[in-house]
Amino acid sequence: MRRPKLLKLALENLVSKPATIQYPYEQTVIEKDFRGRHYADLSKCTGCSLCSIECPADTIKMRPIPPDYEVPKSNPRRLYPLINYGRCVFCYRCITVCPFNAYVSTNEHRLADTAKNDSSELSLSTLRKIVKEG
Amino acid sequence: MSVSKIIEVPLALELPVGPQHPALHEPVLLKAYADGEEIVKVEINTGYNHRGIEKLCEKNSFYRDIFIVARVCGICNLVHADCYVRAIEQILGMEISNRAKYLRVLAMELERLHSHMLINAVMAENIGFENLFMNIMLDREKIMKAKEILTGNRVLSDYVMVGGVRRDIDDAKKEKIRDILLKTEERIKYYKKVFAEDSTILKRLVDVGKVSTRDAVIHSLVGPVARASGVKIDSRASDKYDAYSEIPFNVITRTEGDSWARMMVRWDEALESVKIALHVLDRLPSDANPVPDEKKLPRKIPAGEAYTRVEAQRGELTYYVMSDGKSPNPYRVKIRTPSFNNIISSGFMYVGYTIADLPVILTSLDPCISCMERVTVVDVKKNVSYKLPFKELAKGV
Repeated sequence: MRRPKLLKLALENLVSKPATIQYPYEQTVIEKDFRGRHYADLSKCTGCSLCSIECPADTIKMRPIPPDYEVPKSNPRRLYPLINYGRCVFCYRCITVCPFNAYVSTNEHRLADTAKNDSSELSLSTLRKIVKEG
Repeated sequence: MSVSKIIEVPLALELPVGPQHPALHEPVLLKAYADGEEIVKVEINTGYNHRGIEKLCEKNSFYRDIFIVARVCGICNLVHADCYVRAIEQILGMEISNRAKYLRVLAMELERLHSHMLINAVMAENIGFENLFMNIMLDREKIMKAKEILTGNRVLSDYVMVGGVRRDIDDAKKEKIRDILLKTEERIKYYKKVFAEDSTILKRLVDVGKVSTRDAVIHSLVGPVARASGVKIDSRASDKYDAYSEIPFNVITRTEGDSWARMMVRWDEALESVKIALHVLDRLPSDANPVPDEKKLPRKIPAGEAYTRVEAQRGELTYYVMSDGKSPNPYRVKIRTPSFNNIISSGFMYVGYTIADLPVILTSLDPCISCMERVTVVDVKKNVSYKLPFKELAKGV
């Protein structure tokens, strides 16, 4: 009897690893300059709102910085850009138009979350908190 | 004996295909009338995916629109952005560097490559060849990776900007992309051979949905659909926009005009795209910095109008942009996509074939429904909405 043509391929596939990436156990390889999660570095931000005006998805809203943070003098209005990641399209227009290069870009692509996902925590972590005495 | 009952047998059975998943994951309704197994008429209903992109463009600034028009369609986002940006550059009278032109061509050819692989994979799935579908998609993933290396995202690239492109390429990235292209070229040649020789594919595709050269011209079909019927139409060759004037390439045509020819034209074009991309990587000029400083771009666009076209994956895509010189927003943005021509005039192709051939013919046209849904006219003053007849729309008014 003639040996089936596919037998070799079938045996090879039987012993080889799966072609798919076993995602939670094995991470997908992402480029370093992939357009991922970005946030404003508030030590550089002046609250000029240009990113909010230019954002094509209307996802950046200017919000007041909470009073218990030390804000640099270059930001007299005490505003900071709050990015809603659920609405962001990651075009990085805000980063390229920022006159003070205040944005920090990462290649973080894992953005699924059960809670509302925005940049407040990351942005505010770039500022020092005022420690109250007593 | 008197007649007590009259039973009317309908001559044709009405069979709605869609709007949910008619062969592809996109909403379009094909109302087919079948006499037994044979299709006698097909009505095409669109309008399930209308998003009002053109109106949105009029409400946003010129620069925000670059990212909005890129969201018209996921697979052809780069060609939309390129066409729109070239229209703005034409109004501004701006010349871009050669390096930027070459990089735009590279990005667009990568996009054409993955789009053609996708539709061929979907065709394999639709005719019940799921193994081939998975294999093609596995290799398409490598092209997506190349696009990620070049532009920063797998699908929505946001790569084109007025005055150039948004990121440059270095030697390490060039090598990576060249490596991926050379590997994929081998696989594309193999898939082309499968499509040319496999008996399952040949039985389902050959002589199905035949379009003669005359029909292709009178129904103003564009892109690979027209080229498979022997019409040599390609904006890349006729307009020579961006760097296509300096890059040698062939316009692929076939004379068969059936579904199989349309898929084969796509495989040949994919090989041609690999060739163009490799040519760009080899001879990338370094005359100037291709990345413009987006902070220093002109804020005010002078009054004027521009009409540009590109060869998208599915055919000729045109943009008309008008600026009144006063407002920061465009006065009018008119988009005419290739799928729009191809799908609404495709009713005649199905007649005479069986119901089982309907998804095959639809897939072979490579429909992109999200591209074409901008057809309802709403008169705000009279508070009425009406639809233009397809004949009028096909003229591109």
